[in-house]
Amino acid sequence: MTDCPHCTDERAAGAAFCESCGRPLATGAPLDVGTDCGACGSAGSVATDGYCDNCGMLAGRPRDHAEADAGPVAAAVTDRGVRHRRNEDAMWLAVRGTEVDVVVCDGVSSSADPEVASGTAAEAAGKALALETGVAAAVRAAAEAVAALAGTGDPRRAASNPACTIVAARVREGEIEYGWVGDSRAYWVPIGAERAEQLTEDDSWATHVIAMGADPQAAWNNPQAHAITAWLGADFGVVEPRTGTLRPEAPGVLVLCSDGLWNYYTEPAAFAEVVLASVRENADLVSAARALVALAVEAGGADNITVALIPIV
Amino acid sequence: MAYTAEAFQNEFLALGATEVNAIVTVTSSGAEGGRRTGASEIIIVDCSGSMQAEGRMPAARQAAKAAVGCIDDGVHFAIVAGVSTAQQLYPAPGELAVSTPETRAQAIGAIDRLQASGGTAIGAWLKLAHQLLAQRPGDIKHAILLTDGENGEYKGYLESVLQEIGGSFTCDCRGVGTNWTVPELRKVANALLGTVDIVARPEDLTASFTQMMTAAMGKTSGDVQLRIWTPVNARVRFVKQVEPQVTDLTGKRVEDGPRTGRYPLGAWGAESRDYHVCVDVPAGVAGDEMLAARVSVVEGETVLTQSLVRAVWTEDSALSTRINRQVAHYTGQAELAEAIQAGIEARKSGDDRTATVKFGRAAQLAHESGNRATEELLATVVEIEDAATGTVRLRRKVDAADEMALDTRSTKTVRVGRAQ
Ligand SMILES: [Zn+2]
Ligand SMILES: [Zn+2]
Repeated sequence: MTDCPHCTDERAAGAAFCESCGRPLATGAPLDVGTDCGACGSAGSVATDGYCDNCGMLAGRPRDHAEADAGPVAAAVTDRGVRHRRNEDAMWLAVRGTEVDVVVCDGVSSSADPEVASGTAAEAAGKALALETGVAAAVRAAAEAVAALAGTGDPRRAASNPACTIVAARVREGEIEYGWVGDSRAYWVPIGAERAEQLTEDDSWATHVIAMGADPQAAWNNPQAHAITAWLGADFGVVEPRTGTLRPEAPGVLVLCSDGLWNYYTEPAAFAEVVLASVRENADLVSAARALVALAVEAGGADNITVALIPIV
Repeated sequence: MAYTAEAFQNEFLALGATEVNAIVTVTSSGAEGGRRTGASEIIIVDCSGSMQAEGRMPAARQAAKAAVGCIDDGVHFAIVAGVSTAQQLYPAPGELAVSTPETRAQAIGAIDRLQASGGTAIGAWLKLAHQLLAQRPGDIKHAILLTDGENGEYKGYLESVLQEIGGSFTCDCRGVGTNWTVPELRKVANALLGTVDIVARPEDLTASFTQMMTAAMGKTSGDVQLRIWTPVNARVRFVKQVEPQVTDLTGKRVEDGPRTGRYPLGAWGAESRDYHVCVDVPAGVAGDEMLAARVSVVEGETVLTQSLVRAVWTEDSALSTRINRQVAHYTGQAELAEAIQAGIEARKSGDDRTATVKFGRAAQLAHESGNRATEELLATVVEIEDAATGTVRLRRKVDAADEMALDTRSTKTVRVGRAQ
């Protein structure tokens, strides 16, 4: 077993990822200084700040695409997509035997340093999940960590504080406990089912007005459909995460994802079909997650895309 | 010595756009443990015959004495008497004195001997100052130049001297009275990275000299430079200091390795200055992110701090049309200085129509940006009827000193949001 290149903490037996920093061991590592430039072809021209010393083009950020592969237990993939210039989603995945801690966060683009918010939230929640104090406590820990960002670093953060969504889950002995703030989602997709079960309920304008009786079609077509009504960030105040538990009776796949994926599959039937097809048609779990991300990219990649797959047998 | 540099910009560009603008704020906390290197000072006092008028000579003597009194112990210094040639008044010709209470007292005694007789030879005076300062490589080098008239040397001589010695020391220039010319002293100050100002009344010379010498004694680094890297096929369109005053540094570029140039910033103490960097880059495609410039503050080979200027191309016009306040503000401040100088030139050549337009624009810009000091100076030359629309009328009778004050101080800027 190799040591995590990102931190020196010891990992529990059976963990596929560094439990401390949550980064995958194999991929998503920072670009090596001195690699060749993909834009102009200059040899060894990538400088320490990630830009080519000849043509100035950004060689790429480690977060642009990252994968976490826990073999058959879990997998997660995050990607910048097409339209966004950086990946403001963040994820955390830690496994211990069949126990899984997983977090997906999506930075609010209009806030200052959204990628810092999501990264901070994912890490804080991930570390809190390992303390076995439950999902609500983990989301609150993330909320505190994100709120604290407003008072640090760039003064612009105080004016427009970093903010993000969160969905987190822990799997213990076949039971799923989940919690969320915002519109990143958790789904339960039973094997062979025709419809996916959306476990979370978006904190979004559309969900809110549909609950009030508005026509769903019209609500989702409204320009402010995706405006979120709850988030992690200093300007939101005290966060009361919503939580739930599920003890599946039949095998299926727990999916956590950002809106960069579910936006292309808003129908529960379409979501179930694409998830089950990906799991079925790919040799392993991480390839299935990668395939789902690729579909969202092909569909336009209008947002950052993050998806985590945790099969439960 | 703690330096910081921060770039303010809208990094988003529309597809096809190639111009990248950023304001880089450089701040130094000053030395923690006092001056690291030595310092040397030259005081040049115009002793031409015209200095006899209006009690200028006694006032200049008093001011020079006050400046000598401000020189810290251990600083090397000399006094130059400016006549048709340059004459060293103190210490012995070709030497620099080391400042002690005794040498300062001797210098003050020597200043009492200054008499007004002779011509104005600014080129020769600066050349002597340069020769004296050249004995102290590594020192923070500074000179004060006082004159009351136009240069009397043959045409082109001053320019050739500035060409030769430009950047080798900092020179703050002051014109007393109204018989000197602003463009001439501005040329000297620009070449030597110093300031220029009018001291209309001789009795204000002492305060002016004290202020210059105190500021000089507060400098902790002698030769700070901006080092700018740009990518292949890119070009630095301009580099301007924009705060506390506008100075174009573009022409002072010295090549420094591949795609890199250095621009001299002069001496630094505990202070903050803003620079406007404008770079033309090759156009990128949607989603491309390019480093348009890597801006470093350096002293010799030591990089004190660094800041990145970026370009990101986007189809989202909401992003690319976003106006950066700092860039917009300082673009306006630079235009303000240009409008004033163009207005003064037009008025001198009798083109009242152009002068009115230029001063009108200047009044508008000064008002919008909250530059109250410049707005007040403008009001001495034109009647500002409506600053918001730039409606002004030329004043029939303008005091020469007021117009020269407006001219010399036209480059003084304010920071965003200040005085608003
Ligand atoms: Zn390149
Ligand atoms: Zn998203």
